[in-house]
Amino acid sequence: MRPLIRLTIANLRSFLRSRLAMFWTLAFPLIFIFLFGFIFQGSQFDVKLGWVDEDGSAASATLEQAFERSGVAKLTEDSRSDALALMRNGKVEAVVVVPHGYGAAVEAGAHVDVTLYTDAAQQQASQSVRQVVGNIVGVVALGGRQPIVAVAEQPVQTNDLNFISYFVPSMLGLSLMQSGLFAAIPLVADREKLILKRLAATPLRRWQLVGSNVLMRLLLALAQAVVIVGVGVAFFGVRVTGNLAVIGGFIVLGSVTFLAIGYLVASFARTEDEANGMVSVLQFPMMFLSGTFFVLDQMPDFMQGIARVIPLTYLSDALRQAMVDGTAISPLWLCGVVLAGWLVVCFGIAARNFRWQ
Amino acid sequence: MIRVADLHKSYGDVRAVDGVSFAVARGEIFGLLGPNGAGKTTTVEMLEGLRTPDGGELSVLGVDVARRPDAIKPRIGVALQTAALYPKLTVVEVLELFRSFYPLPGPATSELVEALGLTERRDARTEELSGGQRQRLAVALALVNDPELVFLDEPTTGLDPAARRALWDLIARLRDRGRTVLLTTHYMDEAEILCNRIAIMDHGRILQLGTVDELVARQSLQRSVRFDREEALPDAALAELAGVVRISHDETSVILYTTDVPATIGGLLALGAERGAEPRNLLVRRPTLEDVFLELTGRAIRD
Repeated sequence: MRPLIRLTIANLRSFLRSRLAMFWTLAFPLIFIFLFGFIFQGSQFDVKLGWVDEDGSAASATLEQAFERSGVAKLTEDSRSDALALMRNGKVEAVVVVPHGYGAAVEAGAHVDVTLYTDAAQQQASQSVRQVVGNIVGVVALGGRQPIVAVAEQPVQTNDLNFISYFVPSMLGLSLMQSGLFAAIPLVADREKLILKRLAATPLRRWQLVGSNVLMRLLLALAQAVVIVGVGVAFFGVRVTGNLAVIGGFIVLGSVTFLAIGYLVASFARTEDEANGMVSVLQFPMMFLSGTFFVLDQMPDFMQGIARVIPLTYLSDALRQAMVDGTAISPLWLCGVVLAGWLVVCFGIAARNFRWQ
Repeated sequence: MIRVADLHKSYGDVRAVDGVSFAVARGEIFGLLGPNGAGKTTTVEMLEGLRTPDGGELSVLGVDVARRPDAIKPRIGVALQTAALYPKLTVVEVLELFRSFYPLPGPATSELVEALGLTERRDARTEELSGGQRQRLAVALALVNDPELVFLDEPTTGLDPAARRALWDLIARLRDRGRTVLLTTHYMDEAEILCNRIAIMDHGRILQLGTVDELVARQSLQRSVRFDREEALPDAALAELAGVVRISHDETSVILYTTDVPATIGGLLALGAERGAEPRNLLVRRPTLEDVFLELTGRAIRD
């Protein structure tokens, strides 16, 4: 154990003394949070919705109450075209239409769509509206299979559902990805500088080397989580409501998965420059296709296809669900399975392919 | 300490090590001398357990290294050709780190730091060290476990003369303290000054092996008589002198290779007296390792 701990300390020291690594792992996500946090702070409550109830049933009334509790400003109109005219004139940012037959469908437990019209010219506002509406509708629809009274008791925390609440877990996912991918670079550098070869001439075992690397990255992930969520809580009123064990579990799983992808990069890159290039090639598509900055179902089909494969989509989704009751894209168990799958495959290939010298 | 028989290692079509055999006894400094690409580093790395040989026998400290490379690692010290150091850690931190890898740590870190003349730089990051300091630290890292056998791969390459001499002192002191050292180098003077025995390597083979004196004697190289060029002493006349086998020239002097130095000098002086020309700056030179190497490989060793 002693070599493993000493090596972990040595790696942490090297990391803390490298300004570039520190910037990408901690400063970069914080800059994003402050940036987006100040831009969108409170903007949620300025959003006005056009509301059209074509159904007029008890179920649609329940949904309307849920919206009222959420504190979203709402202009009720009788017809779809009137409401859309309001949006075109900039009086509302989005229009929700509860279609005819909604009540009957909920009663029967069948699938039913609530239509949301958003203004394509106002991407960011549309995105937060989309998340809030999706969340409210999701929670109410979930209750549709139970007596209506139970719906009122659903813990709908829509008052806290501002944009930043979604953004903080996404940023945590993003920074865990960065941290894991960037682990490739010191590793390739150590090989290039013959440090790995020199270590191979000592009694240090490879499992101790890999173990200390994983341990160090997990400690960093923990620090990232504390700092990023801490800033969200302290400055932007983010409330973490989920189960801490589940949150912690996904932080660990996500970190290790992206670390495995980092090892995969290190196993293919011959030089530090190559590793840097590969990390960039991986991180930018993941960053933009994972639903962190752009909403998935606004993307073209092939991009959505990519988004449904890449691990960051599932990590951020899981963290949003676990931390702030975010709308599920995929159930938690599926997020876990996809991340674990990536972990096993990447680690397996990296282990076979990695050159120690 | 080391016994190697018919060692082979190829990379693709290149036979890096092609049938090398030698043995190293306890307490000696053994040198592998040869130009870059001769196969010295590959040989050493197989001995260190870092590479697996394609064929041959390999025993280090009584252990079959090819089969059980981990068994020797606690007992050897290694300095690679390029000092491999964590750039962001300090001298003391790197030493302490490597010390923790060994079940039986050797001398205290402060002792090593002092012995290697790094006291003033003990808290400097390794990226801030000079070339000589880095190499000294690399040697220090090879000593943290008080090893029975130390491998030093080109320890003074790229160092200035003062730094080289300092490192030579250090390596000589290792031998004085009863350690066995296997050293690779492409510097003749380094091999001549430090090594008890030398193996001259080229193209993956050992061409000659022995002490410096043995190598020189075995090659039965002629000694040479050298003096300033003189119009009155033409080559035709010099070639007639007793013992002379070959004549060569450089810018200012004549070199007579001879099998019989006294007879050649006697004849030369007699010839000079006869023609009224005294050979100036007369000197006799014995063959050096450089001549041996030149003779064996047909080329001079270069950096």
